[in-house]
Amino acid sequence: MNALTKTFKYVYIGRITLRNQLAYVVDFLVRSLFLLLILYIFLQLWRTTYAGEGTATIAGYSFRQLMWYLVVTESMTLACPSLCTKLEEEVKSGDVAIKLVRPIHFIAFHYTEYMSEVAIRFTVNSVLGGMLGLAVLGPPEHAIGFLWLPVVAFAGFTLNFMLGMTIALSAFWVEETRGLEFVYNKFLFTVGGMLMPIELFPEALQHVVRWLPLQGVVYAPAKTAVAFDSVDVPSLLLMQAGWIVVFGLIAAAVYLRGVKKLNVNGG
Amino acid sequence: MSDYAMPGKSKRLLWFVWACWKSNLLGAMEFRLSFLLMAGTMLINDVVWIIFWGLYFRRFPVVNGWELQDVMMLWAVSAGGVGLMSTLFGNSSRIAGLVVSGQLDVYLSQPKPVLLHVLISRMSISAIGDVAFSLLVYGFYGDRSLIGLAKFGLALALATLIFIFFTVVVNCLAFWLGGTDGLSAQLFNALVTFTTYPTGIFRGAGKLLLFTVVPAGFISYLPIGLLRDADPLFMLGVVGVVGVLTVGGIWLFYTGLKRYTSGNMMGLRR
Repeated sequence: MNALTKTFKYVYIGRITLRNQLAYVVDFLVRSLFLLLILYIFLQLWRTTYAGEGTATIAGYSFRQLMWYLVVTESMTLACPSLCTKLEEEVKSGDVAIKLVRPIHFIAFHYTEYMSEVAIRFTVNSVLGGMLGLAVLGPPEHAIGFLWLPVVAFAGFTLNFMLGMTIALSAFWVEETRGLEFVYNKFLFTVGGMLMPIELFPEALQHVVRWLPLQGVVYAPAKTAVAFDSVDVPSLLLMQAGWIVVFGLIAAAVYLRGVKKLNVNGG
Repeated sequence: MSDYAMPGKSKRLLWFVWACWKSNLLGAMEFRLSFLLMAGTMLINDVVWIIFWGLYFRRFPVVNGWELQDVMMLWAVSAGGVGLMSTLFGNSSRIAGLVVSGQLDVYLSQPKPVLLHVLISRMSISAIGDVAFSLLVYGFYGDRSLIGLAKFGLALALATLIFIFFTVVVNCLAFWLGGTDGLSAQLFNALVTFTTYPTGIFRGAGKLLLFTVVPAGFISYLPIGLLRDADPLFMLGVVGVVGVLTVGGIWLFYTGLKRYTSGNMMGLRR
């Protein structure tokens, strides 16, 4: 009974966040224009590249597959809210004191808020990106992969949350954390496979990247969606789950240490 | 006789600009760690794009005539131009917000040219990272001869002017349309984004857009049209665009200023 009540608390937090976010759907739509701009530029870049190469596939990706890959990675990346901005403001303004005395787990509360916000943003981005993709490229070659996308993307967003929360919790010590998040995001863009699939990297770099948690954030979901026949979904999900557990534990440990050190400024 | 009609006004104006830049920098240096972090993270941001292009050109050495060195110089010119704009004329992208919130009053009450005063009264610290990045890339990939340096300096100056006055033009929409800061920011972002990709990848309507509505092509083609081989026709086009944007931007600002309505916000400039 107690566990059920606890679960309901987080369901309600999620519903409230969803309602708050739904009030700004038009705002998201306007901001998502940037997604269309980026996709348009990549469309031009890769069209020229494929024409220059004169081959139907590059590193196993056809032009259409590669563009749908970028639709997924860009839609996911632009859907992630900044955890560092949120926690930094909470610590600086003293709001964190109110969060800490509530009968809810601090990390679980932020996770629920984060995933609710992501749900709206990713839906808006997917609709816009999908419309552009359908209009310019036509339907994806392996539609079945897109049926698995919500599952693998859910794990990808959860892993991104755990990684982001580990960084954001350093606000308990240093207050200014956005620079660290900025650098993390840049790693996600490059070695994380957001800007191009890992298969296009030099071989030595590919070996290194396969051992990093970043591949589970946007590369795994995008690859599943566009190249379903060449991925082993259970292995991918297992890899994502493993990294989620590892970084979940690290985030919990950082939180437990940080909360003891925290000096609240205001309130 | 007004202050500006007096002899030596240009010299005094230059001293005023210099004093503004100096005080902006001193203000930024007050929080040294924060200053270094912000400029450093911007530098890292730019380096990431260099990594992307490095990986790309390792796989595809030539794309429509563009090579790695051209794209590196494209980034040096683009990041340098936008960096110089945001460092020395940091209020360019905030004019729409200042107009809507009635914060131009403080500039109107002072005996200095309003547009110049608005532009130089803010410095973006993170943009210093862009300038540092630009110089580093030039050092590694640019032509370091005297002519090469002069060409790079000219490219930077032209790119900076296009960035400043395109931003002024789109921000001046606020005088007529009201709260356009979102739209102005989107147009500015579009210009910056387009300037960081080789013009060779665009065709048809996209290419036309780059040399008209969003004049990013006049910046992103500089590595080919000026730095690699000076193309007189292209350079004539760039100078023409800079002239039109500069004159148009100044004219739009002062025409719009006649429609400006003061706010009741108290402001202070020392």
